[in-house]
Amino acid sequence: MNEIIELQLFPSSCNHCSEIVSEEYVYCTYCGFPHNGTVKDLALYEKRIRDKDRTNEEAKRKIKNARNTLYVMSAITFLFGLFSFSGELGSALFTISTIQSIIYLVLAYWSTQKPLISLLLGLFLYLTIIIVSAVSDPGTIVRGIIFKVIIIAFLAKGIYSASSIKKISYAY
Amino acid sequence: MHTNIECKQCHKQFVKAVNFCGFCGASIQSTKVEKRNIALNLVIVFFITFLLFALAVYLINERLESSLVKELVIELAFASLVIGFSLFDWKAILKTYKVPKLSGNIWAWTFIIPILSSIVVYYFVNAMNTILFGDSDYSYFESYLYLDNPLPWAIFFVAILPPIFEELAFRGFLFNQLQKIVSERMTIVGTAFLFALVHFSLISFLWIFPFGLLLGYLRSKYKTLWLGIIIHFIHNLIIILWDYYDYQNLIHFLE
Repeated sequence: MNEIIELQLFPSSCNHCSEIVSEEYVYCTYCGFPHNGTVKDLALYEKRIRDKDRTNEEAKRKIKNARNTLYVMSAITFLFGLFSFSGELGSALFTISTIQSIIYLVLAYWSTQKPLISLLLGLFLYLTIIIVSAVSDPGTIVRGIIFKVIIIAFLAKGIYSASSIKKISYAY
Repeated sequence: MHTNIECKQCHKQFVKAVNFCGFCGASIQSTKVEKRNIALNLVIVFFITFLLFALAVYLINERLESSLVKELVIELAFASLVIGFSLFDWKAILKTYKVPKLSGNIWAWTFIIPILSSIVVYYFVNAMNTILFGDSDYSYFESYLYLDNPLPWAIFFVAILPPIFEELAFRGFLFNQLQKIVSERMTIVGTAFLFALVHFSLISFLWIFPFGLLLGYLRSKYKTLWLGIIIHFIHNLIIILWDYYDYQNLIHFLE
């Protein structure tokens, strides 16, 4: 009977986050702190924290770059509409460019709160514009190809960075 | 629903949701990020495929004369693409085809909403096209005049097929994948945005986006595709019948 009591595992509080953690675990399942670990485990934990901070900083930088890309695209699209105003179908081009510019602007601003979905929609809007332009003039698909690749790369990096640091829902 | 979570590093199983493996300290989040990135990749591939398909359809339409066979092949290709992507998530999508038990009020609104939306769209689109392009004559019905029985074919291609496959694509496959990436609200906004984008008109964007928000909201609230399909069908049917009515009036006027 005594042996059974000795083997029973009692939960205790994590030294780092105070979350209740079963004694069978070396690491806290909530914050990853090695509350039953050795000095080596603690060093490993600290290294993980440093790596994670570095990854998060890098991800935030990429999200910021993607956001700035959307702001730049918003400005360029608006200027394009403005310069097209005097030509044939000028008012139509101006209206379409202004709508497009506003959408980029809203998505860029929105990316401060919801970076993943806003950057994803920004990328899709840009890809759609490329295809629509190719329909009216197939030559546009290769025109400024380097510029297009750079924009897509910035947005894609921002999207995957936002995905990697997005808060995870633990509801299963 | 409880799902067993496995640590990728030491393969220990956890019944309860955890952030870190209790045995090796590895982050369980990274597994979740990988799962989310799989859904993200699917969404991106789906949308790019859809864009390339639209480009291909445009080029085919430009080079080949209008024919029933061409129309049917394009629709078949689109249906195959949508069903192909849906197979990645067929179990979850199948559940959305259950007919929901809803109150009479909800069903009544399902019929009233598309009547209102088609009236707004009919006048709004005509007004915008007239203001911007000086032309408000585009007619869905008239693009099927080359066929022997244009009205039934126009109804088939405009009112029946798009609601079935667009709803499956956007409120079915895309909705389910986006749900794995972002919150429910953002999923509704995202699917509405993409639904509006693939109609390839920034003018139409102004009404298709709110229309998509409504369909997304209904899909989210009642967990069914049927309300979206019915609303989409009635909306498109009214537009095509309106075009038909205008065409008949024009013929009578010319006679």
